[in-house]
Amino acid sequence: QKMTIKGKVIDAEQKPLAGASVFVAGKNESVYTDKDGEFSIAANSGDKLSVAYVGYKRQTILLTSSSNNIRVILENEENQLAELVVTGALGIKRSARELGTSTQTIKDDYLNQGKTINPLTGLTSKVSGLRVNMYDSKVDPQIQIVMRGSRSLNRTKNEPIYVLDGVPVPTIGRINPNDIEEITVLKGANAAALYGSEGVNGAIMITTKQGAKGRGRVTFSNTTTFSKVMMLPPAQNTFGQGVNGAYVATQYESWGPAFDGTMKNFGSVLPDGSQPQALYAAPTKDNRLDLFDTGLNMQNDLSFSGGDDKSTYFLSVQDVTIKGIIPEDESRRTGARFNGTRKFGKLNTSYNVNYVLFNKNTTPDGPWITAYQLPANFDFTTMRNWQDKNSTANPAHFFTDQQKNPYFQIDNYRDDTRQQTLNGKIELDYQFTPWFKALYRFGYYSTIAETRSTVGKFEGIGQRNVNGSVNDGSDNFRKVNSDLILNFNKDFGKFTTRLLLGQNLRSDYTKAHNLSSANLLFSDLFNQGSALGQLAGRSAITKFRSLATYGEFTAGYNNYLFLTLTGRNDWVSTLSKENRSYFYPGVSTSFVFSEAISSLKNSKQLSFGKIYASYNKTGNNTLNPYSLNNPYSQANGFPFGNLVGFLPGSTFPNPDIEPEFVTSYEAGIQLGLFNNRLNFEGAYVFSDSKGQIFNATTSRATGYASARVNAGRLTNSVVELNLNGDIIRNANFKWNLGFNYTYINNQVKELFEGLESFNIFRQSYANIGQAYPSLQVSDYKRDPDGNVIINASNGNPVVATDPVHLGTMVPPHQMGLNTMVTYKNLSLGAQFDWRMGGWLYSEIVPRMYTAGTHPATVEFNRQPFIYPNSVIETSPGVFVPNTSVLSRGDKAFWQAQGAVQSNTAAKSDFFKMRELNVTYNLPAKLLAKQNVIKEARVSFIANNLFLIRHKDNTYGDPEYLYNDTDGYISFRQVPPYRTFGFNVNVVF
Amino acid sequence: CEKFLDVNDDPNNPVNQNLPLSAKLPAALLSTVNQEAIQLNQLGSFWGGYWGTNSEGINQYFKEKTYDGPSIRHQRDGIPIWENGFQNLLYYQLIKEQGQAEGAGYYSGISKIMQGWTFLRLVDIYNNIPFDDALQGTKFPTPRYEGGQVVYQKSINLITDGINEVKAAGTDATIARADIIFNGSKQLWAKFGNTIKLRALIRQSQTNNQAYIAAEIQKIQAEGSGYLELNQNATLKPGYENTAGKINPFWETYYRNVQGATTAAYDNLRPTSFLIDQYKMRNDPRMAKIYQAVAGDYKGVLFGNPTASAEYNRAATSALRGPQENGNAAAGLLKSALQPLVLMGSFESLFLQAEAAQRGWIAGSAKTFYEQGIQASFTYNEVPTASFAAYNAQPSVDFDQATDKISAIITQKWLSLNSINGIEAWSDYRRLGLPAIPNSLGAPSPAARPLRLMYPESERQTNNAEASRQGGDQVTVDKVWWNN
Repeated sequence: QKMTIKGKVIDAEQKPLAGASVFVAGKNESVYTDKDGEFSIAANSGDKLSVAYVGYKRQTILLTSSSNNIRVILENEENQLAELVVTGALGIKRSARELGTSTQTIKDDYLNQGKTINPLTGLTSKVSGLRVNMYDSKVDPQIQIVMRGSRSLNRTKNEPIYVLDGVPVPTIGRINPNDIEEITVLKGANAAALYGSEGVNGAIMITTKQGAKGRGRVTFSNTTTFSKVMMLPPAQNTFGQGVNGAYVATQYESWGPAFDGTMKNFGSVLPDGSQPQALYAAPTKDNRLDLFDTGLNMQNDLSFSGGDDKSTYFLSVQDVTIKGIIPEDESRRTGARFNGTRKFGKLNTSYNVNYVLFNKNTTPDGPWITAYQLPANFDFTTMRNWQDKNSTANPAHFFTDQQKNPYFQIDNYRDDTRQQTLNGKIELDYQFTPWFKALYRFGYYSTIAETRSTVGKFEGIGQRNVNGSVNDGSDNFRKVNSDLILNFNKDFGKFTTRLLLGQNLRSDYTKAHNLSSANLLFSDLFNQGSALGQLAGRSAITKFRSLATYGEFTAGYNNYLFLTLTGRNDWVSTLSKENRSYFYPGVSTSFVFSEAISSLKNSKQLSFGKIYASYNKTGNNTLNPYSLNNPYSQANGFPFGNLVGFLPGSTFPNPDIEPEFVTSYEAGIQLGLFNNRLNFEGAYVFSDSKGQIFNATTSRATGYASARVNAGRLTNSVVELNLNGDIIRNANFKWNLGFNYTYINNQVKELFEGLESFNIFRQSYANIGQAYPSLQVSDYKRDPDGNVIINASNGNPVVATDPVHLGTMVPPHQMGLNTMVTYKNLSLGAQFDWRMGGWLYSEIVPRMYTAGTHPATVEFNRQPFIYPNSVIETSPGVFVPNTSVLSRGDKAFWQAQGAVQSNTAAKSDFFKMRELNVTYNLPAKLLAKQNVIKEARVSFIANNLFLIRHKDNTYGDPEYLYNDTDGYISFRQVPPYRTFGFNVNVVF
Repeated sequence: CEKFLDVNDDPNNPVNQNLPLSAKLPAALLSTVNQEAIQLNQLGSFWGGYWGTNSEGINQYFKEKTYDGPSIRHQRDGIPIWENGFQNLLYYQLIKEQGQAEGAGYYSGISKIMQGWTFLRLVDIYNNIPFDDALQGTKFPTPRYEGGQVVYQKSINLITDGINEVKAAGTDATIARADIIFNGSKQLWAKFGNTIKLRALIRQSQTNNQAYIAAEIQKIQAEGSGYLELNQNATLKPGYENTAGKINPFWETYYRNVQGATTAAYDNLRPTSFLIDQYKMRNDPRMAKIYQAVAGDYKGVLFGNPTASAEYNRAATSALRGPQENGNAAAGLLKSALQPLVLMGSFESLFLQAEAAQRGWIAGSAKTFYEQGIQASFTYNEVPTASFAAYNAQPSVDFDQATDKISAIITQKWLSLNSINGIEAWSDYRRLGLPAIPNSLGAPSPAARPLRLMYPESERQTNNAEASRQGGDQVTVDKVWWNN
């Protein structure tokens, strides 16, 4: 019999709780309490009424016919830390208290605060020890992740393993973030010990959503954001196009005379006989910005979930469309996921399948590289219609033949990708006896990528001619992972024991091939069949396989003292038969002293206290397949007819490569204070990687560009601090503040054959006694006071023979600050990020020196000048201030200065507001009047709203790096941008 | 389990053991000749007085025109002569080792001769370089540098060994096809080896190293094969095809791509006015074969000219002449997309012999060698033989009338090497100051000339202690050892 239940929700101190949610279990009835904590809801006698509020224990009341004016007293949710359950290695849930290692869990709402497209972006600055960098990937947001510093000198091998619902997968960048229930970060090899080599850099464990028993739930969400270019490398706007101070209508470099406000001829005469002209004056704005569009990102999500006594389901679909900041760049990701579970007596089964179709169409890097080199008065707005045969925008008549119209490049050079990802798992879990359970999990992951790069043929004279080309590629990858895990539990009085034995099999297969023609006959027909000359193409097959057996034994005493032992043996296909099997152990312990020490029990200040420590050794194999030999290939036109010609690769091979070993120690403390209002976690980690497998850059005089060696030792000392607290917590108002700090002292201890220094990539080095990677660049020859020495005969600064070491390219200090203020239905969340102590290097700037667009080139008005604070070496070691020798200040001079790399390096320190999110939840009262919508909220969201950089860094966003590098900004990347927009979320 | 893991044999590429020597040597030879004819010839053609840029190309080849050492040594945007040179040396090292293990004397001998060539080249460009420690992989990760003169001597010995190994080699059915320079001719390899050694000895003419030179000349004479003679050119003939990437690279770089469109280098590069003047001064018939007339005249540019005046515009200056401008007949330098690529022309050998004879190092008439050199150059440049007599009779050409015979020889050598082997022209200028090439107008100072290259950035990054030990490293200040 339907009746109206009225009541009031209060806390233990009798204060009313506003905004608590009150609902009838299993029914579509839910309301929120008003400002006096009062509610009114329709229900039947016999229903269960639940009352929930963040930070309090949920209460359920069985309604009787006499229930009315009920008072619900919510108790503070005590010992949150004590009861926490985390997803551990292999996807096995375990009580956080028994972990002797550090983990951190990020729940879906916090993860999705910024409504990111790549779920990993949501981890940025939220997890101590974890460095997440966005890098330029145009309309396909990608990130670089490094946990607790670099363990490998091989810069591509410092990524953690990604585990999706218990199954290792190569990447999770294309997963729908809304499908994620939580991400647990297992920090370092100790936490991820059971993953062995793959877990040496830690593990990122993603758990996707499951349906729950009860009525079905439908969620719809739309997020629309806009992207705007945030910054460009600064350019001068006082001198325009020309050569050696004279205007030249057909030269693009800015070495002409100063802008004078006159009209000047611009390029050559057009077919109709007209001579195009341009205003030779400094523009009032940065014309380059006209090249960049406002990007648009749109996400639409729909999900259904529910379940009954035996089974659950979760179904979601998502569509993400991105229009890039580069005109015509776009991508679209459409995905669907189905997660299900079903019980058959003692057998629990779960399965899921996820399909993602991703399309991307972009232009290569040409347009903006050109833009950085064009004169300041270049008017992009008149250049769009390049098809006009009687325009200076047309490639046949573009004002210079040394560069191409950026809009022609955008239209004519296209890269198209169509990638399908299919992954899924089947998991069977059988409880044989109360103390023995077996689990089998089979995972499959595959991608099929079709790529097509095209260049439209354009017939022109000389350099204006563009050969048409097409390159079709296909890249197929599949990965099979199988785990069999036996789990034994037995308690003996106060002792609990658990033994886990497992076996893993992994097989990766890649097949890629391409077919190209560089000489198409028609401008609009991209097919290899309509081409001149021979086609090019090749295929490559790669196989990797591994086997492992592992075990873990955990013993607990009285639920406050735990000891865990782990061991694993790997067999991998990429090492020689002699070296491919290796074993490694680990041990960890944890002690919940707040429960063990009787005087601490029931302490008002200390709700929970745990200390833990662990030791772990992990064998690691970073070698790619087929690396034990030097492969030969045909190049330079071979074969010519039946004449073959093979050349060896440039890496010195080493068939005797062994696995490397990483030893790590970790100790930490976890405290819950003041009724868990303040949580603190601190950890110290030391890791030592020895016998590293890496591809060492060697002197070319060795005959090889690099050598694959088993040498080198890197140590990392890491301090991690996490502090999270509710500064204000009452019925209407809540203010939460979280802070995390990471300090990583990374040091290179040994290198190959007693060497002191190894070049890693261009300007980055591994130097003994310094952090890896270190930035080392060419610099001027200087006197002991650091003044630049000038060549007295020509005024050119002298370049030092030895490079100068600047510092680490990875910031050793990282801080994340997040805050969430909730007032009634309104909440405001913000995320700040602060990194200090690193260096970066820009490749954009040298080109801008050469093109005369860099501001430094006009500092002395293009006139001969006395180089500031320069000296002349009159005899060896004797320096006198330079008062008379003039430096030329022309193109030759500035191009040479651009080549001195210290001029284009800077500290990468920054402080950034990464995310801002303002959300309004529609009040329960408003929704109570109808039956369709259960919850609704709207949010304003923004990313990268502001950035403070080191004053020397005029190059770009220090976080927004080139192609997965450390501290490297390239002209190839699109400029950094900020996004802002809104989100609507409705639950039915 | 074992079988499951046995998947590490590369299904995509052969490895050393799969490949016979005959599958390796052609690629090594082609790689060397490509480096010589494109990368080295280009730098040498700027610094040896042949090439400049027109007004449109004023910002092209800027680092070459301004002797910008740091930009040239730059790892990314520089000119990787060191890197390519040592890579080529490695190709021969691996062939040499396999050849010696298999008793294949042709292969090991040719590899030694080509290694000698390449080491000498690198000394000419960088001075001190690694030799004994070089090419050993991780055995010497930071190879020790040796003095330029020492490397010169060791390279000459290596070539001597190579000649002997080729001569002693047994019958090899594969060599005629694999040797895409001399088709397995023992005699030509011996002559070629001797000519390289002669070049290396002539290079030392100003070093007061007379006894050594005489002893080495003696060894060449004792060997007995002599030097490359008239029309014995060391050229590469892999069997070029008319498809992208398989065309003669000189053609594809400096003339037309496979579609027939002119290349950027063709559009922007022009002969120097100095070169045109030298041709004109001698009524040289080669000029009309090599270059195109503009309004009935031939017109060059000023090397390193910082100003873009209309006089030196693309359309106002002489571009290279090719078959398309020559009634589809072979022109001087550009004959066909499939023409052989020159490593060393017989004209160079003849002028080397002329100089050696003039210096009294070898027997024979300097005049004869000189005249044969001109004739060989005429032949190469498609000039009819009949024009030789009139040309040779001119006072500006006639050897007998020349007051400075060495200058006459070097000047004619310089004319014959135009755009074919610029590095030799630059080296002769460094050695003798001949001919009197005007300096770049973009030089850092009027007297500053390029003398050698800085050690590359890659070497500074990986072997800096050794590179630093070699002292000064400036393009216009520090010299190679033979440049006194």
